[in-house]
Amino acid sequence: MKTFFLVSSRFHPFILGAVFLTSLCMFWPSSAAAHRVSVFAWIEGDTVYTRSKFSGGKRVKDGDVLVYDLNENHLLSGKTDELGEFSYKIPRKTGMKIVIKAGSGHRGEWSIPLHEVEGLSGPEATSIQPQEAASTTPGEAAALSRIDLDELRRVIEESVDSKLKPVLKILIDTQEAGPSFRDILGGIGYIFGLMGLAAYIHFRRKVSEAEKEKAGSSIHAK
Amino acid sequence: MHISEGVLSGPVLISGIVMAAAGTGIGLKKLNYDGIPRAAILSAAFFVSSLIHVPVGPSSVHLILNGLVGLILGWGAFPVILVALVLQAVFFQFGGITTLGVNTLIMGAPAVFCYFIFGRLAGKGPRLALPAAFACGALSVFFGAVMVGLALTFTEGNFLTVSYLVVIAQVPVMIIEGFITLFCVAFLKKVKPGMLPGHSL
Repeated sequence: MKTFFLVSSRFHPFILGAVFLTSLCMFWPSSAAAHRVSVFAWIEGDTVYTRSKFSGGKRVKDGDVLVYDLNENHLLSGKTDELGEFSYKIPRKTGMKIVIKAGSGHRGEWSIPLHEVEGLSGPEATSIQPQEAASTTPGEAAALSRIDLDELRRVIEESVDSKLKPVLKILIDTQEAGPSFRDILGGIGYIFGLMGLAAYIHFRRKVSEAEKEKAGSSIHAK
Repeated sequence: MHISEGVLSGPVLISGIVMAAAGTGIGLKKLNYDGIPRAAILSAAFFVSSLIHVPVGPSSVHLILNGLVGLILGWGAFPVILVALVLQAVFFQFGGITTLGVNTLIMGAPAVFCYFIFGRLAGKGPRLALPAAFACGALSVFFGAVMVGLALTFTEGNFLTVSYLVVIAQVPVMIIEGFITLFCVAFLKKVKPGMLPGHSL
């Protein structure tokens, strides 16, 4: 044991580092994400649903949700429930900024642009002329035009919403994937790069100081 | 313990930047460039430490390791922590860019403070050094939590309630980090005691 330490005495900082990083990696499977809070929001019908999570996956319980319009006017507030969710009916057709505050200085936000809100069905739905009217009998044409086109639009939206729900869930999950191994290697790479740069500058300074001393002492000798 | 963007007011952010810049300046002067690999490794450890979660009640907290960084590097903790925080902000979106000054101060100042209190003891025999190491690790986290409370007071008011909540949440981290610092100091005492501050102070 002693000889091992004596032999590797030159590399102690690196041994310390290796022990460190290995033990840190051992904790890896338990949680692999940095600590920030994020909120995800989507619209279904006339309601905005939000879900807030810490980046490790934990839901934000009893967090403060604040909704602003695009001019920073406060629209409404609420609290997240046990599942980190909070929903509200759209107050008016405007882009929205949703902010989650999870205490201790944690804050995240999500923006809903105006065009997402504008694209919803409403009384201003444009009327579409039924194109089959010319080829059908007068009785059927009347029945066709009696179909409420707004109703049709609403039905389509509902089915699109339900089809999109699993897709949105996939999106939320990928967004919360947390820092990848690549990010970590990148960060550590930068640290050692900076170390190399600092060591090089220090070395150059030492060399030039040594040269100055040599020049100084040789002048004295003369 | 990282404070996110948009939480603190302008004056708090600016004073954080100014104080952190001062600390970093002193740190760069006092950093031992001959031993720069150890600074880099500590920076990397600090960088990665925030990925290690400790679930506490409704939220979760993470390791910080500022006690160990302060004990080994002293004032050098400031630039080392600043570098790691910049990289955490850029790679993990953890903390923020405007809050870099405040966050560096929150984690660096307790590290240096505990270095001054416990540094001398780390060079003594194991009976003194190991408890000192534990205290250094634990108290660095404690003072960091207090500083978070202080920073948030200017925005959220009532220093005592805010600090109390933050400190309580950090208690498990304090204990874990106390032990981590203790084991590291024990290891260094056997292997390279020159790294510990008590020998040069």
